[in-house]
Amino acid sequence: MSIVTKFSDLDLTKQYTYADYLLWQFSERVELIRGFIKKMSPAPSKTHQVISRKLTRYIDRYFEHKPCGFFVAPFDVRLKSNNNHQIITVVQPDLCIICDLDKLDERGCLGAPDLVIEILSPGNSKNEMGEKFRLYEENQVKEYWLVEPFEKTIFIYSLQNDKFIGLKPCIEGEQIASPLFPELNFEIEKIFES
Amino acid sequence: MPIVTKFSDLDLTKQYTYADYLLWQFSERVELIRGFIKKMSPAPSRFHQTVAQNLSGIFYTKFRNQQCKVYFAPFDVRLPIPSKNKEITIVQPDLCVVCDESKLDDSGCNGAPELVIEILSPNNSKHDLDTKFKLYEEAGVLEYWLVEPVEKMLLVYTLINGNYIGLPPQTEGQNIQSRLFPLMEIAVTDVFENV
Repeated sequence: MSIVTKFSDLDLTKQYTYADYLLWQFSERVELIRGFIKKMSPAPSKTHQVISRKLTRYIDRYFEHKPCGFFVAPFDVRLKSNNNHQIITVVQPDLCIICDLDKLDERGCLGAPDLVIEILSPGNSKNEMGEKFRLYEENQVKEYWLVEPFEKTIFIYSLQNDKFIGLKPCIEGEQIASPLFPELNFEIEKIFES
Repeated sequence: MPIVTKFSDLDLTKQYTYADYLLWQFSERVELIRGFIKKMSPAPSRFHQTVAQNLSGIFYTKFRNQQCKVYFAPFDVRLPIPSKNKEITIVQPDLCVVCDESKLDDSGCNGAPELVIEILSPNNSKHDLDTKFKLYEEAGVLEYWLVEPVEKMLLVYTLINGNYIGLPPQTEGQNIQSRLFPLMEIAVTDVFENV
């Protein structure tokens, strides 16, 4: 294996591993989904950026003195796959919380975070709602938030009996209601203020 | 009670009943939520219209000559929400499916439809995501679909022990999964055609 410096040198029909991924030195941001390369949008929109920053502010405040790690993209999360001891899935969630600190190393997180938050943006949402949703469920991420900027809504999926269960959407005028972190409090509309 | 011909003659802080509602002859479309008047958006967006048309076509074909009947807005649904005055909640879902014929009368549906579909529009989503979500849950609507035209996603909530449980979000490239109508094959892509 050798270092790859051009994204165009990769074969998008081929399956790669985390060992390959570590040798990629191009500027494009990619995720590895079950071995396949998924190119990320070049730079997320302004709205995406603003929401990410606001969420960071409120969540950071809550976790400041808690024994959990809180990380914001770009941050590599390596997920294990069934019947494969090699790591072939590396994702970069918008935000994630990891309370099992043994999962953390200098390269990021190895294993499922407790909470993953993805902010939807047109053109990218299908991945968050489809493939990544299934990956997070399969890896037993305990809670998954989908943040929807157009409807100004947070959709919370909570892992129950190994499956994600969708809760009542959290909307403007309400507080966030996370079953996993019930004391985490912020007003939904604050997140979507521009 | 007299006939009301001007929307502005109504008192938005007051609770009304279905008997009052039947006497309103103005052009504004309203819903009655636990007795309170909720004015509907004057005309939904073009995407809303396109999705509504797609759903109409799909559901018309699927439910033709079936026991369950499909109705499109404007269609009055009187929801069984417990209160002293009997009927104080009247909504107009974008689409609903009613399988119990005894609920149907000339005025619309008297009772909870089996399935309700609402198409979200950016300035009105709170009403569908919160107010109506709770109403349909309480009234016993077995399945509630929310269609989101911007992200092109469809959210299906199924009533289990009196609470709505959301299935994974459904996106283009898959068939809609419904616990209520498991054999109904609808491609999500068809719902968002031309959006």
